[in-house]
Amino acid sequence: MNLERLPNNEKLSLCRKYYLGGFAFLPFLWLVNVVWFFKEAFLKPAYTEQLQIKTYVKRSGLGLLLWVAVLTTWITIFQHFRAEWGVVADYLSFTIPLGIP
Amino acid sequence: FISDCYFHCISLLTLAPVYYVNSNSVAQKIYVEVNNTVPCVRLLNATHQIGCQSSISGDTGVIHVLESEADLEWPLTKGPNPPYMILLESHLFTRSIMMKIKKESSRIAGVTVVVPNTSPSEFSPHTTCPNENTGVYSDTYGPHLAHCNTTVWNPLGNGLSYEEFDFPVFSLKEDKQAEAIKQCYYDHNRVVNGSAPQYPLCAMQLFSHMFAVTDTATCMRRNDVINFSINPEMVCDPLGDFNVWGSIRPYNRSQLGHRDNESVVMAAARLDSRAFFWDVSTGAEGSISGFVTLLAAAHALRDVTQVAPPTHNILFAFFQGEAFDYIGSSRMVYDMQNGKFVIDLDNVHSLLEIGQVGLRNGSDLFLHSDPVSRMNDTVNDQVREHERYRCSLIHRHHSSATGANFSLVEPGVSQPLPPSSLQRFLRAQNIPGIVLADHRAAFNNKYYESYYDNADNLNLRYPPNMTAEEQLEFLTDTAMALTEVATVVARALYKQAGGDGTQVDNIKADSKTVTQMLFGFLVQANNSWFQALIPPELKDMLSLLLLIPPDFYVGVASSSPAKAKPLTRLVQFLLANLTGTATNLTQDQCQKPDDLPDESVQMYSYLWVQGTVPHNGTEKGPFCVRASVRLSQALSPAFDLGEYASRNYSTWTESRWKFIKARIFLVASRDLEMLTLGVGVAVLFSSLLVTYFISTKADVLFSSAREPASAAY
Repeated sequence: MNLERLPNNEKLSLCRKYYLGGFAFLPFLWLVNVVWFFKEAFLKPAYTEQLQIKTYVKRSGLGLLLWVAVLTTWITIFQHFRAEWGVVADYLSFTIPLGIP
Repeated sequence: FISDCYFHCISLLTLAPVYYVNSNSVAQKIYVEVNNTVPCVRLLNATHQIGCQSSISGDTGVIHVLESEADLEWPLTKGPNPPYMILLESHLFTRSIMMKIKKESSRIAGVTVVVPNTSPSEFSPHTTCPNENTGVYSDTYGPHLAHCNTTVWNPLGNGLSYEEFDFPVFSLKEDKQAEAIKQCYYDHNRVVNGSAPQYPLCAMQLFSHMFAVTDTATCMRRNDVINFSINPEMVCDPLGDFNVWGSIRPYNRSQLGHRDNESVVMAAARLDSRAFFWDVSTGAEGSISGFVTLLAAAHALRDVTQVAPPTHNILFAFFQGEAFDYIGSSRMVYDMQNGKFVIDLDNVHSLLEIGQVGLRNGSDLFLHSDPVSRMNDTVNDQVREHERYRCSLIHRHHSSATGANFSLVEPGVSQPLPPSSLQRFLRAQNIPGIVLADHRAAFNNKYYESYYDNADNLNLRYPPNMTAEEQLEFLTDTAMALTEVATVVARALYKQAGGDGTQVDNIKADSKTVTQMLFGFLVQANNSWFQALIPPELKDMLSLLLLIPPDFYVGVASSSPAKAKPLTRLVQFLLANLTGTATNLTQDQCQKPDDLPDESVQMYSYLWVQGTVPHNGTEKGPFCVRASVRLSQALSPAFDLGEYASRNYSTWTESRWKFIKARIFLVASRDLEMLTLGVGVAVLFSSLLVTYFISTKADVLFSSAREPASAAY
C-alpha cells in the first residue's frame, strides 16, 4: 500500500489502528507505525489530521522504547544468570545452546 | 528489467551447482582429511564432566611437534603464532605435560597423540583407586579400607581419563599420514635458532564439539526439556548395555523373585574396559582374561553337569559397564532386590568372581575375600556360615588346583577386595564370595584401562607368516595358562555346587576353545569360528561393527536386546554354544519352539546359528542351539529411578556430538587473510555502486535499444 495515495482521514484511521493494536503486546506494530508514519507526522506540510497522527506516532515511539528497555534488561539478566539458575532457566528456555553450561 | 532479472535468476540457478562443485574441489585442494583418528569424548556423572571438546566450528592451531617436556615453552609462552596444535609422541602423553597444557589452554587449540605400534613400559590413564566411591568400602563399612587406604590397586594410574580438558584431544595412528603431518611441520613450522617461522604455516583443525555439559542431571533434564523445542536434540545418553547370564539348569523366566529351596552358586566376570580415547578399549588383561576363563569354565562344566548334576545350580554372569562404577552388577543386584530377576539375593549361595588372571607369570593365583564380613563377629550365623564357606571354598580351591602347576594363595587378612562386582553384592547383602586374581596387592597389569592393554600385554604371540586361520588354531602359551585357570575354576564351581567328587577329574577346560576365543577377542573378531557360532543375519555385525582389535568400551545404553552391543551378543552366542545343546529343530521351529511339546521359550533361549559352511559334507550347516542363556539389562538403576545425582549408583552418561573430524592445511598470515577479505569487500561495494549508477542512468544508457520502462513499474 502506498501511503502517498491515501486520503488523509484514512491515514489517520490506519495510524490509530496500528497504535491501538500495539497494546495487544505487539510492540512491532508500534515500530512499524513509527517508521511508516514518521514522514507524515513530522516532515509533511501541516494538514488537519496531522496533529493526531503526531500524537499516535509519539506514543507508539514511547511504548516501543519502553518495550525495548524492558526486553533488553530481561534478556541481559537472563543470559547472564541462565547457567546459574539451572533448572528454572532450562524450563524458561525455548532452545538451549549446545555444549555450554 | 523484468526479463533482465529473469535472466539473472536463471543464470544464478544454473550456475549454483557448478559453483558448488567447484567449491568442493577447492576444499579438496585446501584441506587434507586426517583418517585413523580417535577422539577423546565428554562423559558426565552426578557431579562432573570429564573428557575433551572443541568449539562448535572446530579448533584450529599451528602444528607444533613436541620433542621433550622442555620444548613446551615455545607453544605455551614464547611462540608468536598462537593458538598451537600440539602433536606429541605417546611417551610424552603424561600427566605433567597435559596439566601444563591445560593450565595455558588459551594458547592451545588442541592436542594430537601419535600412538605407536609398540607399547611404552607402563601407562594407565585410570585412577589409582578404580571405582573408589561405589564399591562396598565406605565410612560405614570398613572405613580403614575405604579409598584404597591399605592397598592402592593401580599405583601407575595417572588419572588423565578423569580430567576435563576444554580443548580437543585426538589420537592418531602411527602411519604414513602421521609421517606426512610431521613432514608438513618440518617443512613449514620448524623453529630455527628461536626465530619465528615464516608463513604459510602448517595448521590442523579438530572438530569434536560436545552437546552435553556440566553434569548428568543437567544433560538428562535438557534431554527432556528439549522435547518442547523447535529443534529437538538429545544431548546425552546413559552408558550401559546388557549383562549376559546363563545357568546350567534353566530358570522359568516368567517366575521372578525369590525361589524357595533354591541356592545358586554364582560365577562372575566383567566384560568391559575403557581407555582415554573413545572406542579403542582393548582390555586384554583387564576384562578379556577373566571372561574368557569363565566362558571356558562354563564350557568345561557342560558335559559333567549333564551326567552328574550338582546339588546347586550354577549361574554364570558377565557384567557390562563395570569400569563406570559397576553399572552391570549394580543393576543385577537391584533387580534381585526388587524381584525383577529369576532369583533374589537370598538364593545366592556364594559368588566366585574371575578378575584379572592373565598375567600370572608362572606364579600363584590369589583368592581375595572381604575382611570385614570375615572378621565381623558381632553378627549372626550367616557370617559364621560365610566363614565356614570361605574355608571350604579355599580348601576346595586348593584341592582343585592339585595337578595344576600353580597354587592358590590368600593375600592376607587385612587387605580389602580389589575393585570387583562382588563389592556390589556385598553392599546389598553379606554374600560369601571370592575374587580370583593374579595379583596379591597392586595389579600386575601395567596398562590398566588403557589402549595398551592389548594382545601384547598378555604375551599373545604367533609365529610369523601365519594366516588368520592358522593363528585361530595355534595353541599359544597364554591360552594354555588360561586353560589351566579355567579348569581350576570349573572344578571349584562344581564342588562348590555340591557335585559328585568322583567326577571332578573329568572336568577339563578345552585349550583349543580358549585359544580361539583369545584370537577372536584380541586380534580379529571376524573369523570363521565366531562366524559359525552366530546367526546368519548377524554375520555383517562381525565384519562391520567390530574393529581390529575389537573395542570393549561399554557405549550408550539401548532399550532392546536386539540392539545390544555386538560384543555382548557375541558373548551371548558363545556362552549359548559352549553351554547349550544342538537340537534338530528346523529354522522355523527354532523361531517358534513353543509350538512343540517339549520346548519352552520360558525355560530356554533358542538360537539359530550358522555352523561351519559345509563344503565336504562332514561339517555342519546351520542348526538350532538350545541354551539357558539370556541378556539382562545393564542400565544403572539411577536412570530408572530418575536419581541423576545418585551416590549409590553409576550416573555416567556420554555426550552426543554432531561429527568428529580432523584435517590439516596451510594457513596464510593474518595480514594476508585480512587483505584478501578487504579486497573482496571493496570489489563487492564498487560493483554495487556501479550497478546503482547504471540503473539510475538506464534511460540514458539504454534508450535507443529498448522500449521506455513500463508505467506500472
